[in-house]
Amino acid sequence: MRISVFSNIASYIRSVFRGAWSIAESCTTAFPYILRWGELRKEITEGYPDPVSSKTADDLPPRSRGLLFNDIDRCTGCKECEKICPAQCIRVEEEPGANNSKIWVSVYDVDFSRCIFCGLCVEVCQPASLVHTRQYEGAAYHLTDLIASFGRGQITAEQRASWAALRQMSESDEVTL
Amino acid sequence: MMSEQNSWIIAWCNSISFLSEIPGWAHALLALISTYCLVIVPSGALMVYLDRKISADLQARVGPNRAGPAGILQPLADLLKLLQKEATKESSWRQNVWLSVHTMALYSTLAVMPLGSMALLVDTEMSAFIPFWSALVLALGTMLLGLSQDSVPGWFGGIRVAAQTLAGSFPALIALLCVGVRAGNFRWSILANCQDFSPWSWTFLSNPFQFIAFIVFVMSGLVLLAIPPLDGGVSMSDIHGGVSSHLFGRRLSLFRFGRFFGFFFWSIIAVVLFLGAWKLPLQVSEGLRAQEAFRFLATIELIWLLAKTFFLMLFITWVARVNPRSRVDQITDFAWKVLSPFSLAALVGASICAGWKAFL
Repeated sequence: MRISVFSNIASYIRSVFRGAWSIAESCTTAFPYILRWGELRKEITEGYPDPVSSKTADDLPPRSRGLLFNDIDRCTGCKECEKICPAQCIRVEEEPGANNSKIWVSVYDVDFSRCIFCGLCVEVCQPASLVHTRQYEGAAYHLTDLIASFGRGQITAEQRASWAALRQMSESDEVTL
Repeated sequence: MMSEQNSWIIAWCNSISFLSEIPGWAHALLALISTYCLVIVPSGALMVYLDRKISADLQARVGPNRAGPAGILQPLADLLKLLQKEATKESSWRQNVWLSVHTMALYSTLAVMPLGSMALLVDTEMSAFIPFWSALVLALGTMLLGLSQDSVPGWFGGIRVAAQTLAGSFPALIALLCVGVRAGNFRWSILANCQDFSPWSWTFLSNPFQFIAFIVFVMSGLVLLAIPPLDGGVSMSDIHGGVSSHLFGRRLSLFRFGRFFGFFFWSIIAVVLFLGAWKLPLQVSEGLRAQEAFRFLATIELIWLLAKTFFLMLFITWVARVNPRSRVDQITDFAWKVLSPFSLAALVGASICAGWKAFL
């Protein structure tokens, strides 16, 4: 079948107008956004940090993982968190305490510049001393400010010696008993 | 001849009055510098801000809101940030060629821009063609920038820019001829004077062919200067800026400013040619001219011209934000197969209309 020149031109013009029409149609999709109709009345993006958005720490989902906190009184210094941390951001050092049932956790540092907030450390924590807080604003000006220290601090040599003596005493008590 | 062309500047500078003793070339230089600092750069800042705010609205975002009230100082903050960055790489001689060509195109085009009946430095019989020179030089610079990279994206980007420019310039020139056919000349003053304040006297509504010519002129400008939505050659989000992907700091701000400047002067020219130029209502300009309030007249005309220009630019931005970007081969295809035939048809029709009027 032979297609005439005129039908060619007609189909060309038709396709050009169809293109122009589709562009005009897509332009009309902008009206609800500009004029704020219905669901589009409010902006979906929320301002942060200034003005602080409507979301506060209480509005966060129940299992949201914020900055880590370690209750050092309950921490046993087992180093499970340090072992499982994929980012290797937890550093734990501990020493024997004054009595045998207590461990002195001298260093417990979490480097939040490396933390990925995966929550594995919280999962493995047996005494449940390590928890996620709902605090999420951790920005700082220096990398060193991002290291959170929960440890009890280093002990002096005299303390170490006296504690060793104490332990010795309690052990000998046990033996005598 | 020279003094005649400088007359508007002298009128301008006389109204400032403390600079009446300096020679003509200094007048011209001062006028260009003040135009640059008081018109072009603030327009760029304003349009960048409006563009970002409006596209944020269209995408249900907030947009810039930190720098100044409602983020109004964002362009300034961007500029300061870009200026602070230091260059880390040695630039090749090709990049230096780009830099000089680009800067030349940016600054020298000012002299030929029609910014009002009082601000026509070069008003010759072919002044309407001079912007094409500027557009081509800008495109040449962009192409050199692409070729200056030793990478595949750079080379392809340069060739894409060249292809787009060639494809866009043909329909743009033909569309320009349509206006010349109606006005009978390519002087800015005559092109503007064949229109009036009322939209019904504007060239683009004078007959259907001029309307087609207007659409073709604007769209071919988008192709020629690679302006969104037809910026397949240099798009930021899809091919990471194409030719500009390795630019940063001052050079990037210069490149971005060049892109804005192309868009801006093309819109101004479209407004002057098709949308009633700087024509004011109710013989305001005649009255002010009679009272010799030249500076006031020039300012009002400039504001009215810029208002229309911004409106056109925002309209194009709107279309660009809601339509998907085309590939570069689709753009050149569109320019050659759709814009060019339509521009030729518009030229034939406009000529027939002009001839019809001449015989009536």
